[in-house]
Amino acid sequence: MPVITLQRDKFSDFIRRDITLKEMTDWLPWLGFDIEEVGEDNVKVEFNPNRIDFSSYAGVARAFKGLRGWETGLPNYDVRSGGTVLSIDEAVSKVRPFMLAAVVSNVKLDEGEVVDLMEMQEDLHWGIGRDRKKASIGVHNLDVVKSPFTFTAVEPDSVRFVPLDRTEEMSLKEILQKHEKGTAYRHLIDWSPKYPLLIDASGEVLSVPPIINGELTRVTEKTRNLLLDVTGTSLAAVEKCLNVLSTALADMGGTLEQVTVNYPDRTVLSPNLDPQTMKLRTAYAAELLGLGFSDSEIVECLEKCRLGARKAGTGVLEVKIPAYRIDILHEVDLVEEIAIGHGYYNLKPTFPASVTIGRQHPTCKAANTARQIMIGLSFTEALNFTLTNENLHYQKMRRKPVQSVTLANPVSAEYTITRQDLLPGLIQNLADNKHESFPQKLFEVSDVIVLNNSTETGCERRMHVAAVSSYSTANYTEMKSTVEAFLANMGLTQWKMIRAKHPTFIEGRAASIKVNNQPTGIVGEIHPEVLNLFELENPTAAFEVDLEAILD
Amino acid sequence: MVRLRKNEQQTLLTIAHLGGKAKVSQIVTTSNLSHAAVMRAALTLSKEKLLQIHEQKQTIAWLTKEGEIYEKNGLPERCLIESLNSLGGKAKIDKTVKNARLEGQRVPIALGWLRIKGWATIERKENTLTALKKPQIGIDEEVMALIARADKGRIVVEELEKKERGAIATLRKRKLLAVEEKILRTLEISLHGQKLLKKGVAPDEEVSQLTPELIVSKKWRTKKLRKFNVTAPGAPIYPGKIHPLQQIIERARKIFLEMGFTEIRGPLVETAFWNFDALFQPQDHPAREMHDTFYLSVPKAGQLPNKKVVDAVTKTHENGWTTGSKGWGYPWSAAEGRRLVLRTHTTAETIKYLSAQQKPPIKVFSVDRVYRNEQLTYKNTAEFHQIEGIVMDKGATLRDLMGTLKTFYERFGLETVQFWPSYFPYTEPSAQAMVYVPKLHHWIELCGMGMFRPEVLAPMDIKHPVLAWGGGLDRLAMVELGLDDIRLLHGNRLGWIRRTPACQ
Repeated sequence: MPVITLQRDKFSDFIRRDITLKEMTDWLPWLGFDIEEVGEDNVKVEFNPNRIDFSSYAGVARAFKGLRGWETGLPNYDVRSGGTVLSIDEAVSKVRPFMLAAVVSNVKLDEGEVVDLMEMQEDLHWGIGRDRKKASIGVHNLDVVKSPFTFTAVEPDSVRFVPLDRTEEMSLKEILQKHEKGTAYRHLIDWSPKYPLLIDASGEVLSVPPIINGELTRVTEKTRNLLLDVTGTSLAAVEKCLNVLSTALADMGGTLEQVTVNYPDRTVLSPNLDPQTMKLRTAYAAELLGLGFSDSEIVECLEKCRLGARKAGTGVLEVKIPAYRIDILHEVDLVEEIAIGHGYYNLKPTFPASVTIGRQHPTCKAANTARQIMIGLSFTEALNFTLTNENLHYQKMRRKPVQSVTLANPVSAEYTITRQDLLPGLIQNLADNKHESFPQKLFEVSDVIVLNNSTETGCERRMHVAAVSSYSTANYTEMKSTVEAFLANMGLTQWKMIRAKHPTFIEGRAASIKVNNQPTGIVGEIHPEVLNLFELENPTAAFEVDLEAILD
Repeated sequence: MVRLRKNEQQTLLTIAHLGGKAKVSQIVTTSNLSHAAVMRAALTLSKEKLLQIHEQKQTIAWLTKEGEIYEKNGLPERCLIESLNSLGGKAKIDKTVKNARLEGQRVPIALGWLRIKGWATIERKENTLTALKKPQIGIDEEVMALIARADKGRIVVEELEKKERGAIATLRKRKLLAVEEKILRTLEISLHGQKLLKKGVAPDEEVSQLTPELIVSKKWRTKKLRKFNVTAPGAPIYPGKIHPLQQIIERARKIFLEMGFTEIRGPLVETAFWNFDALFQPQDHPAREMHDTFYLSVPKAGQLPNKKVVDAVTKTHENGWTTGSKGWGYPWSAAEGRRLVLRTHTTAETIKYLSAQQKPPIKVFSVDRVYRNEQLTYKNTAEFHQIEGIVMDKGATLRDLMGTLKTFYERFGLETVQFWPSYFPYTEPSAQAMVYVPKLHHWIELCGMGMFRPEVLAPMDIKHPVLAWGGGLDRLAMVELGLDDIRLLHGNRLGWIRRTPACQ
């Protein structure tokens, strides 16, 4: 989740009040922030990706002032008309079809704010842009370039310019191969015969969206007028990025000016910061929240969340949503705003009125019976992961691998498949506990996953029971008695033991357990070669039974 | 007159037989008594001043795995100097290393010891090695060979010469040797004891173990039952036990059952459709990426539910369908929905259950296994347990959800619970339940919670509000069990399980 570090003094400037650190940590959670760390004079907070407008001081301050009732209702953003023109060339439509822009004049950014602006850009790239795929942002010093601008696409070798953080000219092809941003993001454009390029009236390069800007338009604390460009593959995402960024810069003291964007088939004025409108039924809100609020109380709550609201008929409000709020998809999102405006701390918990009777799941119930029997037999429970690997599950157990549920993207060699049996895990547990005193008797009652074509997912989860007993005189006879005690106490009256050949067990000391003539388990004494492979020193006997099969 | 018990008598006689002084191990072998029995007897005899116990510290040393390898193949510096000499006594470092077939990680060790032992000099600028003198077999190498040849590969350090003991210290620092300190006990009959033996030892008439024969024949009436040292430490016994984490899972299950919730249990492998799409998580949502979710290569894809449900979900994602939502505005892909994942939350089963059971009130729960694509660290595991509770009822409210959770966690013993606003793609309004942990001086998240969005309810034709909450159980278990490393919770260390009381 994205984070922002708020310096107390700077935050105080934004909310125009001197605020204590305690007041910040007390109130920020009620807007949905998690307190990550409290520093000497700052707070590091985490925010949810739906509120990407919290990626700037300005965004947090707007909401904070609203919640405290210091400044409520819809914030207004004036966008002046301006002379800046941007043309979108047909050539770019195949690789990065959308671009919008805005001019911000008379900004004063100190060094810290330039860094903040870059961090905000990264949050937007991640939160809305899906790592620059759907949208990416460029911020430029407007005073060193001249309108009209053109967004076009060119051959990779045809243009050279100095990219950010370099001193020498590079071709677009070289940037993709050598520049760190080029190698990180080239997959977004390198499949195209032509690469996107933003140039000014005299052909000077501003950027290769979405890879990197030119050194020419670098923004420093001396920059006064900015050109914001957002390009992408989704117009909605491009618009959202531009709205969040330009409103934040306006709140930082900049003046917004429109850019005329000429697409081959249409002209748009950008940015468009008109608030959206949505209807809200007050009875719907009251039902969900369990609050008997009057319309005016609801309006007050919404205004504390910086929304505009007015009555538009009986039981219906018309709500205006500022352009930076990209998270409002449905009326229900406004209901949450009411709860936040009211304060979650003010919501008194109630208990649902309906009476219901609880029931255990039969498999879980049986698993608990199995556990009780096993601890009665002096076994101690182990809990292993269902994720395992072929070496442990098959090779070390002297078994030939069979096809198992396999991960497409394992994170380590240790976890590549899911287990079909519990025994390998228990043997591994013995290997990990060699230094503990003996006898060691372990059991597990847990899940395995087996392939099964008749289900919706091609596999099936089953509850197994397994046990191992390891000490200097452990043997088959004892384990056979144990598994028979287990079966009898599970309520079974009939089962058969049939001599079995199984590579994990000593030949002549293993039996397959049949219930209703179906093989449902195995009992035996572990083969010394398996013991050697796990570096175990004591004779070990084991059993494993499919618990669900004996319940059927 | 001193009366000796059978074991004491036998111990004393055995020592006398062995010449009046013997090591405990010798007495055990000769007498056929157990080690513990001899030691118990020795303590009593020494109290009676019949013998003296001499204790001597003994350090046992053996080669570590690395040590064994070096002993067989030669120390790395030995390999390197031999390689250098075979190259004529002067050569580039790289070449010498390659010729010596030395593994990369051992090179710095080898170079360091070459210099310390004065076998060669290193010209850093030219990256060359020059051999200095004939590399004699060092005392360290001799000691290693000595240990390798010793009985069971173990030697007693105290029995070595001073020079050799010095080498032991160096080899320990190099982690080529492991040592263990033992106390060697020798028992010696005292003068008093010798006198007693001369007089002859009185036979023991006390009964130690009551037998069925003594009970039935009532012969016990004529015997004296020996008084035991009832405070003497006995051997520990470990009862069979439910795993501490399973005990906490049980606690959570019982609270749910007491609160009238019914348990549900779904598959561990799910289609992305039920794990994500049915819960209104867009197909380009970061949580669906490969680095967050485990996808399967075998089997790869599953089946989607009936067309009506799939169509409704498709349209809801694309444009909001009839839900009044804007939707996510992208073309929904059925192939993406068919991909199989290890479920990332139990909510996958919940939504499937609610799509089939629609008569209110419904209160269901699960405490079950889920997966995230995470490296194993002190705070993350790829596999963990999630608590999930669901209420579907006419007129259920956000405040009802808060009340249900407050009750649940109070029963768990957590009193200071707050609900902070939060965000989840499938709930609105959303919140997170936070608990204040005084020991940590901060709030930790217990679970996420909220009311299912209309975009989730409508495609499944669910007509009443659904209250949902879910959170990791393992973190709660760590707080309860006082662990600060989650690997301990899943490591199945027998010592820890045996030590942890069965009342979690």
